[in-house]
Amino acid sequence: MTDTAAKAVLDDDRGTEVVGLDDKRKPWASALIHALLIGASILMLYPLLWMLSASFRPSQEIFNSTSLIPSEVSVDAYPRGWFGLRVSFGVFFWNSLVIALLSVIGNVMACSLAAFAFARLQFRGRNFWFAIMLGTLMLPYHVTLIPQYVLFLNLGWVNTILPLVVPKFLAADAFFIFLMVQFFRGIPKELDEAAMMDGCSPWRIYWKIMLPLSMPVLATAAIFTFLWTWDDFFGPLIYLNDMRTFTVQLGLRSFVDSQGGQSDWAGLFAMSILSLVPIFFFFLFFQRLLIQGIATTGMKR
Amino acid sequence: MTFRLNRRKLLAGSAAALGASAFAMGPGRAFAQEQRLRLMWWGSQPRADRTFAVTDLFMEHNPDIVIDGESIGWDDYWPRLATQVAGRNAPDIIQMDYRYIFEYARRGALAALDDFIPDTLDVSDFDEATVQGGAVDGSIYGISLGANSSAMMVNAAAFEELGIDLPTNDLTFDDLRRIGEEITANSGRSNFHGLSDSSGVEPFFENFVRQRGKALYTEDGELAFDASDAEEWFSLWAEMRESGACVPAEIQALDQRQIETGMVSLGHAAVSSAHSNQLVGYQSLNEDPITMHAYPRIAAGVGGGHYRKPSMFFSVSAQSQNPELAAAYINFFVSNPDAASILDVERGVPESAAVREALAPQLDDNGRAAVEFISELGDLAGALPPPPPLGAGEIDVTLVRVSQEVAFGQHTPQSGAEAFVAEAESILARDA
Amino acid sequence: MSTLASPGTAKATTAPKSAGPLKRFWRNNGAGYMFLLPWFIGFFGLTAGPALVSLYLSFTNFDLLTDPRWIGAANYVRIATADAKFAASMRVTFTYVLLSVPLKLAFALLVAVALNRGMRGLPWYRAIFYLPSLLGTSVAIAVLWRQLFASNGLVNSFLANFGIDGPSWISNPGTSLYTLVILAVWQFGSPMIIFLAGLRQIPQDMYEAASLDGASKWRQFWKITLPLLTPVVFFNAVVQTIDAFKAFTPAFIISGGTGGPINSTLFYTLYLYQEAFGFFRMGYASALAWILLVIIALFTAFSFLSARYWVHYDD
Repeated sequence: MTDTAAKAVLDDDRGTEVVGLDDKRKPWASALIHALLIGASILMLYPLLWMLSASFRPSQEIFNSTSLIPSEVSVDAYPRGWFGLRVSFGVFFWNSLVIALLSVIGNVMACSLAAFAFARLQFRGRNFWFAIMLGTLMLPYHVTLIPQYVLFLNLGWVNTILPLVVPKFLAADAFFIFLMVQFFRGIPKELDEAAMMDGCSPWRIYWKIMLPLSMPVLATAAIFTFLWTWDDFFGPLIYLNDMRTFTVQLGLRSFVDSQGGQSDWAGLFAMSILSLVPIFFFFLFFQRLLIQGIATTGMKR
Repeated sequence: MTFRLNRRKLLAGSAAALGASAFAMGPGRAFAQEQRLRLMWWGSQPRADRTFAVTDLFMEHNPDIVIDGESIGWDDYWPRLATQVAGRNAPDIIQMDYRYIFEYARRGALAALDDFIPDTLDVSDFDEATVQGGAVDGSIYGISLGANSSAMMVNAAAFEELGIDLPTNDLTFDDLRRIGEEITANSGRSNFHGLSDSSGVEPFFENFVRQRGKALYTEDGELAFDASDAEEWFSLWAEMRESGACVPAEIQALDQRQIETGMVSLGHAAVSSAHSNQLVGYQSLNEDPITMHAYPRIAAGVGGGHYRKPSMFFSVSAQSQNPELAAAYINFFVSNPDAASILDVERGVPESAAVREALAPQLDDNGRAAVEFISELGDLAGALPPPPPLGAGEIDVTLVRVSQEVAFGQHTPQSGAEAFVAEAESILARDA
Repeated sequence: MSTLASPGTAKATTAPKSAGPLKRFWRNNGAGYMFLLPWFIGFFGLTAGPALVSLYLSFTNFDLLTDPRWIGAANYVRIATADAKFAASMRVTFTYVLLSVPLKLAFALLVAVALNRGMRGLPWYRAIFYLPSLLGTSVAIAVLWRQLFASNGLVNSFLANFGIDGPSWISNPGTSLYTLVILAVWQFGSPMIIFLAGLRQIPQDMYEAASLDGASKWRQFWKITLPLLTPVVFFNAVVQTIDAFKAFTPAFIISGGTGGPINSTLFYTLYLYQEAFGFFRMGYASALAWILLVIIALFTAFSFLSARYWVHYDD
């Protein structure tokens, strides 16, 4: 499925070619840029290749060999890793997916509401609350962890996904509010001023003007939320007890123990590779929205 | 001014006070039911498999009891446990480390098990010393899951290539240095030295001061060694570095005290320091055969540096609703023959003599090596040292740092030793 | 909070006659507060309480396991007067912030501009360039960095071609921090994506008009792209600075949680974490956290003040 889908994305992108140089006009420049980008890609891909190679090789070779080519190749680590823990990785993937998707919905909805207020509405105390909102970005989470844990424990939410998901619906991640505020402020104000004159409510302006014009930033927020939630391990580590509720990251952390006995490192790296697949394709697909976004912006102007 | 507040009330109260109570649903804690126990341990996946298998076996024997097991790697285990204990949501049975048991027990997080011995918890055929290894200030807070000792991991192939005999229990520091120099000089392996630089390895340092008739800590929680011991120690390794017997500072600094960053695993040295229960881990990361040996003697005939140390414990949380049931589970874990057969020596050599005997026929080479290593220490092993005081964990970290400062030339062995002792004393004073 | 508590005291005279002060306040400000409602619930319900508790704990000797005891400002006094590790971690953190943030932003912007064009394989490039950021917390990064920057790593093999005998970059206290700066720059994916989104929001007709006027690409970049991108540049700068001050994972992964060798990678939050969970000094760690908050807040406030002079909003 991935191949055709990815191809669709590619075609999509070429269809909306808009900015700067294109491949036809200056072939030499384009060749140079491709060469540079491919060179850089290799630099970026190296760790992935290394992980891939580690997942195929015997554990004895993983830490003391600098070569990328395994001496013997085995794919055993994949089924071994998948079923290695008491609960299969399929469950972990499902749990991660549910948490990540709910987080995306929550973050995009709640943060865009708050960002609209900060970016476009006049109200007393706006700057004060904006500063407070930014302040919530600044406190290291290690010191709020325990009071927060006690709070969620009292709500009866520990060992459920609620502590991981509900805050997203309450715009607890100020990063995204701030991000959207910056982008909302970049949208021409005449648009909503005109709408305001026509008697549009703030809600309609938000829903009919702001959101459609903000696809690039909403897509960005969706992508980041998905990826960061998928990668997050500290929240799940603290709030999820039962292995059946574990996320992929927690599963990976249950594989090896640097202090104790035997560890299945190849299995760990095999599962690490698999854990990248969903986020890689989520990323690839959501780029479409980035592109749609400009098309819309162009039309409206 | 002292202003004491009940911690639970404080944390829960003030955190919730600002509005959360509006949609509070009240504590819905299913695990408060009488016959349900939570068990948490650190470890890798093979350990999880064994532990879950024992748990299943226990539940077969006791159909009305449910044990919920939770497993996670070492690094993540401690913040998770600390958060749960602080939130008063600790698991009933907690796997404990020798270092942390004092920190947790002295702060009232663990239940004393004395009342359950011997009726629920039968440790009569345990070695008395290892039972005492779980004692803190006179009460038993942890039941050892296996015996362990610090040890040297040796890449036997690197020795064999040069025709060097593997170390014996008569090895001295002088012998070790000669071996190190010979390997460094003659080994054909690239970037390879005889020894790792163990000047920052606390168990090795402890072994050294114990051979000098001292210890790391006194019964009262003071330092039981002085700057001259530390200076001697740092000098000894400075000489090793100079002569090339051990790896240079830059290489040693790659070691982060994990099996996978040990000098032997990284292929930088033929000898490095570890614990006897890590042999399997080392072997699984090395193509060359790994053997395990005792630390050297400071002089021929001097011993007593090693001791049989509990590799880890099971402790019972002070918050447990049913500590007796937890104790019964621990008893099953350490003495049921079927459980023992499942567990093998993965957590260290079992403490129960009967279990050890029953296990003997099923052990593989590594398991046998671990058992033999512990049982053949002879006069190299001495009595269990006094328990470490609060702050010992930070002193351990400080030793690593100061040893690096000496190795990188920021301190002489003498000034390093003085700095180390001064800092260690101030840490002890701070946490006292 | 005073805003909510005392509505309409200052401007009461300008409002229409019949309505009470509360109603007037609501008419003028209600929409803003309605849109902020989810955030307010989250803030007061989930965020503010734990933050205030941590502020309280910073004046106690809380050790995680026993009840906290009030010790006044003792933690703060010790941090200011007798904590060598605090000073060391401050040095490490400031060096890291000052080096990694500008480099990372410059790199991200460069790549974003290079990728902001119609060409084949664009989504793949973007995805591949984001990849290092995806691997952020993986053990693989630690191994990889060792393979690159250890004494017999790839970097030194490369330098050997020029007769240079490099140190073991990652485990030498003089250079280890720079390998973390490189790691930060290498993980430039997030600001790159945000720059890309920002570039996409710049109306095409502005470029078209400039092209007709004969402005070069270079001139277009400085006259159109960069000024219109300033809100996004500003966002990235602020957020990356906050992130760099709070950086924890890179040092935790690369140094195995030690901050070594010799505290050379002892990031502030890594030190804080060690104090809190390694040495059972949550009270002290909370004090460290609030000091960090003040430092970051000062930096951020300064950024916002400076923004008046260089950030261009459409409003």
